[in-house]
Amino acid sequence: MRVRTLGLAGVSALMLAAPVRSEAPASRAWIHVRVEEPSRQSKVSVNLPISVVDAALQAAPEKIMSNGHIHLGRVGRHDLSVSDLRKAWNEMKATGDAEFATVEEDDQTVRVARAGNLMLIHVDKPSGKESVRVEVPIEVVDALFSGQGEELNLRAGFAELQKRRGDIVRVKDDHSTVRIWIDEGK
Amino acid sequence: MLKMVLIGAVAVPAIAAGSVAATGVVVVDVKEPRGGQHIVVPVPLALAQVAAAFVPEDKMHLRLPREAEQYMPVARQVLSALADAEDGELVRVEEPGKKVSIRKEGGVLRVSVDDGAEHVKVQVPISLALSVLPEPGSRFSPSDAVWALQHARLTEVVNVQGRDGEQVTVTVY
Repeated sequence: MRVRTLGLAGVSALMLAAPVRSEAPASRAWIHVRVEEPSRQSKVSVNLPISVVDAALQAAPEKIMSNGHIHLGRVGRHDLSVSDLRKAWNEMKATGDAEFATVEEDDQTVRVARAGNLMLIHVDKPSGKESVRVEVPIEVVDALFSGQGEELNLRAGFAELQKRRGDIVRVKDDHSTVRIWIDEGK
Repeated sequence: MLKMVLIGAVAVPAIAAGSVAATGVVVVDVKEPRGGQHIVVPVPLALAQVAAAFVPEDKMHLRLPREAEQYMPVARQVLSALADAEDGELVRVEEPGKKVSIRKEGGVLRVSVDDGAEHVKVQVPISLALSVLPEPGSRFSPSDAVWALQHARLTEVVNVQGRDGEQVTVTVY
């Protein structure tokens, strides 16, 4: 759970956002990552101006990203492609508010749903000690899927992300908490 | 004749001192603990660069690995964007007995590492970091790096306080 949740948080940091207040000016926004491990009395804070992250994306080497697009191809055991995901996303988007998937396993429950302009991905352990909360604005996912074929349009996704303010990802497990958010402050 | 000698005796050191002041001086200051030695070494930047010019060409330049080279444009863009961004703390790591902080203040990145016994402070002007980043296809030159210290004038670039009380500072004037 720990590795998965932290990994999910890291990937989500670049791609996802949840609006608490939206449409604020992007240029002064900062993205914050806070990781705390109480058992080690360890705290790590990373605060970056959105403009710096944007500059890094703009200049990313061709090998990683071409014209703001990242090529993923087919991923995972079940050979799910980006184009398959895009089709599924378009179908889901058209249905409005709904619970798309609930997976109940012995050790965790995963829920994927749409509420308003948010896609919610919630993972919970029965003990209540571990949880993942990812809240993805529809516009950000739309922008990510605006690439062609097996490409995700990271640049467009990030452009949408810059408009958001508030929590993006919250992860809590036995050992650590991770919070990623965007605000106007430093 | 005596007048000419006197004028020369005053003018030559004055011009030399003016030239050194104009091109910059790095001062390395080492203080040993408990009243030990105190060593101050001023190094004119112009002199350091002239010395660097005598180092054989093949030992002067470092070729960056290709993997690192392709990230130079990213580093350049990130540093440029940082220079334009608001001031703030970029990174803070706290563990028992250890603290690391990286702040951006004005055009300077301030790195502070404190492990309880040793304290290290490094201040890097962003313009200095930008000027030592090699252009794509070119090589990193220590000579250029020395000259780039001009961007750090009137800055205490390094301040290290050791666990035994020794202190080393490097300041560019």
